[in-house]
Amino acid sequence: MAAYTLQTNGSVCPFPLIDAKNAMQQLSRGDDLIIDFDCTQATDSLPQWAATDGHEVVAFDRTGEAGWTITVRKGA
Amino acid sequence: MILTGLLLGAVLGYVLQRSRFCVTGAFRDLYLTRSTRYFTPFLLAIAIQAVGVAALTGRGMLAPEPASFAPLAVIGGGLIFGVGIIMAGGCATGTYYRAGEGLIGSWVALIFYALFAAVMKYGPLGGFTEAARARTVADATIHETLGVSVWVPTLVFSAIVAVLVVRRYRAAKARAASGRPSVTLPARRTGLGHYLADIPWSPWVGGVLLGLIAIAAWLLSTAAGRNGGLGITTPSAKIVTFLTTGDVTLVDWSVMLVLGILVGSFLAAKLSGEFRWRVPDAQTMLRSAGGGVAMGVGAALAGGCTIGNSLVETSLFSYQGWVSLVAIMLGTWGAAWFFLQRPQRAAEANRPAPVLTPAS
Repeated sequence: MAAYTLQTNGSVCPFPLIDAKNAMQQLSRGDDLIIDFDCTQATDSLPQWAATDGHEVVAFDRTGEAGWTITVRKGA
Repeated sequence: MILTGLLLGAVLGYVLQRSRFCVTGAFRDLYLTRSTRYFTPFLLAIAIQAVGVAALTGRGMLAPEPASFAPLAVIGGGLIFGVGIIMAGGCATGTYYRAGEGLIGSWVALIFYALFAAVMKYGPLGGFTEAARARTVADATIHETLGVSVWVPTLVFSAIVAVLVVRRYRAAKARAASGRPSVTLPARRTGLGHYLADIPWSPWVGGVLLGLIAIAAWLLSTAAGRNGGLGITTPSAKIVTFLTTGDVTLVDWSVMLVLGILVGSFLAAKLSGEFRWRVPDAQTMLRSAGGGVAMGVGAALAGGCTIGNSLVETSLFSYQGWVSLVAIMLGTWGAAWFFLQRPQRAAEANRPAPVLTPAS
């Protein structure tokens, strides 16, 4: 299973979420998408999207002051 | 005592930052993702304030004066404001609290918003704004037209909100039981700090506190000699006008309130490890500036922003409040289509959108 990173630092919401959804469409089931982001509201919207769309969050943590990374494994 | 404004503003900024409360997002996501995650809590805030203000008015402690209704200015201004907040990435309070989080793009939007609100209210376009807002129709409020007490729309609206809250709660519970719950960040603090400056607050906490803060604003502002509730646009215009004219009489309770939002959200972000100066690219910066201009112009014409009109005037059941809420919402939907959905659909046909690199 492949893993890909999506760098969204500097993008304001809702762009990290829009980019993540777009990127996810290019992946196959079981692939990991590692999203780096620094928009605070995405700490809410990205895990919400994963839960609603049936993707698994395999990692979610801070990378420093106002910086986060989330790894979403593509579900159905 | 205008300093109570600074204190309440700081509490407001803190709450907004921790609950990631974004009225722009609430309106936008109704259209983009059909989500009511922030919209229903926002309606709850209106209902709480409506009950509180009606009760305090009944006891003679408040004397709110709903704005008279100028349909063209309110609809036109609301639409312009709605487009502006999508471009700027946040409404008036959203822009203030994101500025407090260190987003340079929000500072750009904030400066242009305050400047153009001043241009429209106290500057060269003041006459135009006044003329547009003078074209009013007979009744100011819904209960005036119906010839009933303010309690009738207050209780009917509260009942509707109660139904929506229960439905939203049940749906969330059912989803949590069937699927995976939303994943949260690992804890960094324990005890009280865990709740105050670590975990994000739910939109419900944000909505309830926003409603209570709005009631407190009426009481504290009235005590400081300003008959009004929460307000963002007029004080922003006053700050610019004060800075350029030195007219100290402009510095009132509401000016302290908006400055407090910056302080409160900075504290919340700093304590939670969410503050950093963040510089956007040139395109985002320009769009934020354009959004700020539209926000200033739109809010001045409509007589308020997502707070002054959509939260405060709505709780008085004035036509200005409700018509501008709908106009702002339609503006955000149009702009969300134009700025967010349309480019994406065009891109889908042309390019494999975001750049992906294999991770080692």
